[in-house]
Parts: sequence; structure tokens; C-alpha cells
Amino acid sequence: MTIRVVLLFCALVGPALAHVTPPIVLASDRDAITTLLPGARRHFVREVRLTDEERQSVQNESGWRPEEDFYRFYIGRDEQLHDLGAVAFLTQYTIHGPVRIAVGLAPDGKIKGALVVELSEETYPWVKTAIDAGLLRSFAGRDAHAPFPRAAGGSSMSGFYSDIIAALVRRAALVYEAGVLKRPP
Amino acid sequence: MNGIQLSRLPLSGRIFCTLFLLGIGCGALAAFAQASTAVGMSPAAVQASLAPDLPMTGMQHGEAGGEKEIDLGQISSEAKMTIRTPLLIQTSHTHLFGQTLIAGLAGLIFLFTSVRERTKAAIVALPFLGTFLDIGGMWATRFVSPSLSMLVIAGGTLFALGYVLIAALSIRDLWFRKETA
Repeated sequence: MTIRVVLLFCALVGPALAHVTPPIVLASDRDAITTLLPGARRHFVREVRLTDEERQSVQNESGWRPEEDFYRFYIGRDEQLHDLGAVAFLTQYTIHGPVRIAVGLAPDGKIKGALVVELSEETYPWVKTAIDAGLLRSFAGRDAHAPFPRAAGGSSMSGFYSDIIAALVRRAALVYEAGVLKRPP
Repeated sequence: MNGIQLSRLPLSGRIFCTLFLLGIGCGALAAFAQASTAVGMSPAAVQASLAPDLPMTGMQHGEAGGEKEIDLGQISSEAKMTIRTPLLIQTSHTHLFGQTLIAGLAGLIFLFTSVRERTKAAIVALPFLGTFLDIGGMWATRFVSPSLSMLVIAGGTLFALGYVLIAALSIRDLWFRKETA
């Protein structure tokens, strides 16, 4: 009788607990903006609502269609209001939890850097392996049209999340290009 | 209930029930700490994590873009998580299963206490109602009105109150109540 009760208990509670993966927030939005926009004295928010044509051009380029109502860029400028760059936050929801990153973009649309700001406890070791292997540093200087490298080594899950992060970085650059750079001033 | 009383359980049964309730209590404390650090325990904090993201520039519906100077102080310096619809679905499915099972198993123990039937019915319902209010409040905050974030706090409080009453009264019966015929 006791064994039956214990087995029933484990069968009921086990699956529920196995799926709870708490989030881990690695950096605040403010920290990410100041890190990716060094030297900026004034900060602006630029919000863009993509047209159907702009959404289609991003989809043609990457296979991903931007579906958000609007996209937000934090723009950094110096005292003379010269653009120093922009930061965008993008999230991908995976079966193991969300991955949210901040992407720093130069005024010409090239990538200045990227930070992982939020992920889940379950994905943390896979993403950390990719970051330790230099994934985030490898984006600097690339634009949305250059092929993105995968992090060397690590597990297949680490490679999977490297691809997700690389896709997010590329999406940020593509949306910036479509919604900011290609629009008339 | 049906002749079974917690106070008449053998030692192994009493240890099992006690350790289960204590384990759930520790889990609840950890969950409280997790919620307070990742989201916050005030309606405003819940609202910030769950409510739809509105334009900061005042961009109206149909407008192609907008720009506005901001002070960096307007951007949160705290590492807080944002809960968008896909994560809300994920959170709802894990927590509805998890919390309902916890409420069910703790409630099952509580059914065999000596508490009066009406009181028992009210107390055993608290964690279930708290769960529905908690998860339902998250959806309401996102899709009905950000002001409904208070439901999330109320739901969590109700769940905690129900657990405390269930655990305290069950442990009283398990260890401190004299056996009755």
C-alpha cells in the first residue's frame, strides 16, 4: 500500500516539477544600453512601425517576418547630436525558455556588439558555453548581410542556441536597416 | 472523513504527510523569493512585467515612427524579466499543473483533519482559487487591463494563506491532537 502511494505521488508531482525552469536575468536594460553605447551623452528612443513592404523585405532576406506592432531602438548621441549608434532588444521564445538579447548597432547598421540579457536556468549552461567560446565577440563589425559564424566547440544544444542568438542579432540589424537606415530622414 | 483521521495514522503516515507539507512550504518560500527578485511583489512590478509594451514616443496607431529624447533614468536599472504572450503560455501551463497538484495533494491530507466540514470546505478551496486568480490575473493584466495586476498579488496571497492554514491544522492533528474514537 505504501509503495503504491509513493509511486502515485511521484508520478503526479514529478512531471510538474520537471518543467519549471526559472528565468535568469543577466543585465538590466539600462546596463545593456550604457555598455553598448559607450560615450553617448544624450539618449533617444526611436520607434518604428514597419510597413508591409519593409516586413516583406526582411522576410525575403532572412526567412523571418517581423510581426511586432513596432520596434524600439535606443539611440545614443554626443553633445553635438551626432549619432553614435543604436541598441535594440529582441527575444526568441524556445521550448526551454526565452532568450533575450541586446544588440548594439553602429550608425551605418554594422553590429557593434551584443549581450544576452535574459534566459532560463535550463538554457544558461548552453548559452554560457557559446559566450565563453567567443560567440558575442564574433558579431562585431558584421552587417546583416554577412554570413554569421557559429561558435566553435560545445554541445549540440550550445550550437542550437548560438544559431538562435546569431539569428536575433541579424534580425536586429535587418529591422534597423529597413525601419531606420532605408527610410528618408 | 470516512473514519480516517490524521491523528490515527501510523508513524510512517504521519512522517510522510509532515515531510510533504514541509517540503511544499520550503518550495513556496523559494517560489516567493524567485517571484520577488525576477518580477517584484507589487501590482506595479507585475504590471511592468506583464502589461503590453506601449510606445514611449507617443506614436499613434497607424503612424510609421516617432522619436523622443529620454533620460536614462527612465529605463529600468533593475534586472527584471518581461513576460510576453509565449512566456505567459509557458508559465501558465507549468504553474497550473504544478500548483493544482500541490493544492490537490495538500488538500487531500487536510480532508482527514478534524476541522468542521464547512470550514474545511472553505480552507481546502483557497489554494485552488489562489491559483486560478494568480494565473488568470496574469492573462487579465496582459489582455484586459494593466490595472488588474493586483489580481496576481491577491492570488498568490490566497494560495499562501490556504497553504499555511492547511499545513498548520494538518500538523496540529498529526502530532498534537489526541486520538478520538
